[in-house]
Amino acid sequence: MSFIGRALAILRKDLQAEWRTKERLSPMVFFTLLVLLVFNFSFELGGAALREIGPGVLWSSYVFASLLGLGRSFADEHENDALDALLLAPGDHGAIYLGKMVGNLVFLLAIELLSLPFFALFFNLSLGFFLVPLLAVFVLGSACLASVGTLFAAMSNNMRLRELLLPLLLLPMILPALISCVAATKIVLANGHFTELLPHMQMLGVYAVVFTVLSLMLFEYAIEE
Amino acid sequence: MDKDGEIVLTDAAKRFGAYTALHPTNLVISRGQAVLLVGANGAGKSTLLRLVAGLSRPSDGEVQINGHDLQDAPEARSAIGLLSHQTLLYDELTARENLRFFAQLYGLHNVQERLDEALAEARLDDRQHHRVSSFSRGMKQRLALARATLHRPSILLLDEPFTGLDTGSATALRQFLHLFRGNGGTCILVTHRLDEADGLVDRLLVLERGHLRLDQALSSDLDQLYAHCAPYLDSAL
Repeated sequence: MSFIGRALAILRKDLQAEWRTKERLSPMVFFTLLVLLVFNFSFELGGAALREIGPGVLWSSYVFASLLGLGRSFADEHENDALDALLLAPGDHGAIYLGKMVGNLVFLLAIELLSLPFFALFFNLSLGFFLVPLLAVFVLGSACLASVGTLFAAMSNNMRLRELLLPLLLLPMILPALISCVAATKIVLANGHFTELLPHMQMLGVYAVVFTVLSLMLFEYAIEE
Repeated sequence: MDKDGEIVLTDAAKRFGAYTALHPTNLVISRGQAVLLVGANGAGKSTLLRLVAGLSRPSDGEVQINGHDLQDAPEARSAIGLLSHQTLLYDELTARENLRFFAQLYGLHNVQERLDEALAEARLDDRQHHRVSSFSRGMKQRLALARATLHRPSILLLDEPFTGLDTGSATALRQFLHLFRGNGGTCILVTHRLDEADGLVDRLLVLERGHLRLDQALSSDLDQLYAHCAPYLDSAL
């Protein structure tokens, strides 16, 4: 079977299992909504203040929610040592990374789409006008998070303090992408010009591609005991 | 020369930091041989099995399966089936979904027919649409065997496969292993209970603290098996 075929088989299996258990999505969605709610009551935002703080609040909630999901992304494989069966299958192990990475991307986009109406509601925002550029920022930002996060989730999977290790590895590494995500979202909410947005989108695109390629190359070593 | 089903370890060693789990080991297991691997906890049995399966890289030396180094030729892994005391299955998927997933990973043709066949052999055709989490230990192990042999491997690695099985399931597994050997399959069986290996193996390997201490051909006599292992029974079993 082709590399992409194996990655798709893993993605389909993960989505099928998640559809039944909701083990990853439920905590991620609830966490995101809780953070937005807490910030909504902590700051009474409006106008310029909203555009300053809102994007940071939004992306902080996504990054911390992603830690919950990423931490679980190899848990199913851990349960009955199913990872051994995956590693035994013929072909490049990078397909496992790609399948898991796209799965994590799907879950991240799902929580972003589910939480967006609540963000608009809590922060008194009309989304119609911003929706398309905001979705583009979400896709690129989530791809950055998923690309690095999946590699670190695989690395920390076999370790004793994996719940602690994953954020310690991921947060410093994702910082450049996070800064661009917040800046891009700020520009979108301020109805900024496309030329202002472009450098941040380019930065996110390059980050996602570079770290996906690097992770594909390193995954073999990351997954080894 | 036909190397199908052949396992060759050349000075293969495995270290975890300063700890050596397996000292340099040379071993040739030919097609059709059934090997019993024994040793105390921490003797290096699982390490050796994982090296042979390609789940772990040797720190030194080389492991070849069917004439291929698994690290250089990942497609060669399709010659191997692994059955362990863990099921290596997904509890939230049904029996059929589990097998279909692995059939896809192995790129099998005529998947539906092969799944029907494997589920019938595992006597799970009536439970094929039930989640694995609802299965008994015996049913899970039958499905695990179906998963391990779905792609018809020429080498079967068995790590404590009888653990937790009732008499009926253990007998069925033994029957399968006899059949597998009859068809020329190579297998390595790791177990702490020698009676489980009675009549199944023709060679004994004893590991002690990462060293291969004994490599002995066997008849199928259980008494002979005990006699060979006796010097190691206190320390190894």
